[in-house]
Amino acid sequence: MRPLIRTLIWFIIAIFGALALGTIALHRGEQINALWLVVAAFCAYALGYRFYSKFISAKVLMLDARRATPAERLDNGRDFLPTNKWVVFGHHFAAIAGPGPLVGPVLAAQFGYLPGTLWILFGAVFAGCVQDFVILLFSVRREGKSLTEMAREEIGTVGGFVAYAAVISIIVILLGVASLIVVNALKTSPWGVFTIAMTIPIALLMGFYLRRLRPGKVLEVSAVGFVLVMLAIWGGQWVSQNAAIAPWFTLSASTLAVVIIVYGFAASALPVWLLLAPRDYLSTFVKLGTIGLLALGIVALRPTLHMPPLTRFTDGSGPIFAGSIFPFAFITIACGAISGFHSLISSGTTPKLIRREPETRMVGYGAMIAESMVAVMAMIAACVLQPGTYFAINSPAGIVGRAPEVAAATISGWGFPVTAAQMHTLAQTVGEQTLFNRTGGAPAFAVGMAHIFSSSLGGQAVMAIWYHFAIMFEALFILTVLDAGTRVGRFMVQDALGHVWKPLGQTSWYPSILATSALIVAAWGAFLWQGVKDPLGGINSLWPLFGIANQLLATVALCVATTIIIKMKKARYSLTTLVPLAWLVAVTFTASWQKMFDSNPRIGFLAHARQLASSATSNHEVSRLIFNDRLDAAVTGILVFLVTLILLESSFLWVSVLSGRVPARVKEAPFVPTRFAAEEQL
Amino acid sequence: MNFPQRSRQAAELCSAGALASAPAWLRGATKLLLSTLREIFDEAAYSRFLARHGMRSCPRTYAAFMREQELSKARRPRCC
Repeated sequence: MRPLIRTLIWFIIAIFGALALGTIALHRGEQINALWLVVAAFCAYALGYRFYSKFISAKVLMLDARRATPAERLDNGRDFLPTNKWVVFGHHFAAIAGPGPLVGPVLAAQFGYLPGTLWILFGAVFAGCVQDFVILLFSVRREGKSLTEMAREEIGTVGGFVAYAAVISIIVILLGVASLIVVNALKTSPWGVFTIAMTIPIALLMGFYLRRLRPGKVLEVSAVGFVLVMLAIWGGQWVSQNAAIAPWFTLSASTLAVVIIVYGFAASALPVWLLLAPRDYLSTFVKLGTIGLLALGIVALRPTLHMPPLTRFTDGSGPIFAGSIFPFAFITIACGAISGFHSLISSGTTPKLIRREPETRMVGYGAMIAESMVAVMAMIAACVLQPGTYFAINSPAGIVGRAPEVAAATISGWGFPVTAAQMHTLAQTVGEQTLFNRTGGAPAFAVGMAHIFSSSLGGQAVMAIWYHFAIMFEALFILTVLDAGTRVGRFMVQDALGHVWKPLGQTSWYPSILATSALIVAAWGAFLWQGVKDPLGGINSLWPLFGIANQLLATVALCVATTIIIKMKKARYSLTTLVPLAWLVAVTFTASWQKMFDSNPRIGFLAHARQLASSATSNHEVSRLIFNDRLDAAVTGILVFLVTLILLESSFLWVSVLSGRVPARVKEAPFVPTRFAAEEQL
Repeated sequence: MNFPQRSRQAAELCSAGALASAPAWLRGATKLLLSTLREIFDEAAYSRFLARHGMRSCPRTYAAFMREQELSKARRPRCC
């Protein structure tokens, strides 16, 4: 009877899911409720987890509950530690949840809610969750080795080098793009700048509190820090309205860029306990709380989506980024569907905490489902806005015009009515000087989130507080990614340069710290400066570059996974990773080709450079823009070349193994029976 | 026993008392949530550090813990 009831329940879930997906995909004319997206997502994830991940566990990976994991065998109470699966899940989710699933869907909403939502759901279930899951398990079976190490051991030296180069490139591009998002969110916003500026002394205070007053009481000090940040948000309102003080916090994009570059350099060189760790804890505290609140707000409020399922910009003429749905929708949304970066985390700390192999299913597959759900919520937050408002916030001045009336007329001409007066009222409501040309996705997400929160708690009167809370949350979140990413990049460069001159490899030698920090900061700072000076807002060119780089790393991860599956003599199941791999190759290579060589100057870097070169204007600024275009094209080309190498090396290896020329041998740790099984039986 | 220790013990007793009357599933869920948060926020790691080295919590031991954390944690990539 019970199997029958279970089958019936899953059948009902499938019916509900199909109904919700059908409504989302086919409904035209009337606006739909956000709950359709929530129901479709819930059903898709439930079915994916229950059936597809179960199939992968049983047939492809053959998870073995009797096998001791490195957490058990190498238990040292520090890095390797058998940990409760729910705790590992929470830890892993906190590590993978970044600003990506918040920004990507907001940008992709320019196509309408449909393409992005379908990619988030299907991409996560069949690609992203699979990647995170298999890489986690393979790392568990290899003593917690990193992706780069697994690539080197299972594919070859080229594989290892490509993985390393891809990781460094992604870190630099990611930090450049992330810092640009912060700049665009905080420019000409004294309230926002004041709030974020206050997080620095608050973090220093937290560091002092932790270090001297209450050592180790992180949750307590994070709660105190949160209260202080809320006071800073409230105080920011007074600052923004004070004629004497506001100008000090009203910074242009260029000034903000310089401040962030200096901050990034300082953060890389300062002791962790003083600033980075407290900000990290505060950011995590705010992040987890906000995600929970947003989920509750959406379910409680059940907002209506005002964005249509498909907009006219599916033709590739979009103002936020140029390019048609294929391939650009699929690289704009990375972290909510599939992110190569996750494979670094799945082969980082998490594999060293896994107690039993079957728990990798919940942690690897399940945590990515949770991240994908965050992407769905971001899509909802963007699509609850009136389309005219959405495009007014996200469209660069170079496309719609700088003057509010001109911008409003342009956007209304596209079929999305909006007036300068409406945007002015909205800006006043959220406590900003203007909401026009606030590209990057963060302000639009903040307005959407503020709308949801204020409708549930407090009403219009507190919309400004909620807006600035959302800006603070995103900016703080991104700045901690900046801190951590700069340090990780610095360590990677020190490791590499240590082979050239040993002192440079010493991570505590200050000249090395300063030199390598400067190198990494200069690299991402160059991308940031490029974005700030771009008349089209920067996100137009840099976010696709980030998406391409991130998903090229995912390609590397899936190459490693496919190689291992074939070597495990499970070639008949290799489609579980080969199909997403093939899809990603098609998407990223097409996107790369178009970004490099498309004749439309809004899409192709080189076409844009040619357009600038042939224009009547010729000055230092134009020369710099031409250089940036050529640099972006070169970076894209190099990444594609490197990934092509690993694809070729992997393909040769697959054919060699399948034909028997090379023995099918994986480099796993030897099987050791777990003691946990015996303890559970007792 | 000083004031902070007394107030901490009182708070723990109060919360233990409040939880004792709650259903078992709620007690379990709360305990799990707190364990997860303690792990995410490195409080559990600090407790393990103290246990491993047989130390009591004080500014010096926390400084030593942070130095150890810096070596391992600072190398962990943070997702986008």
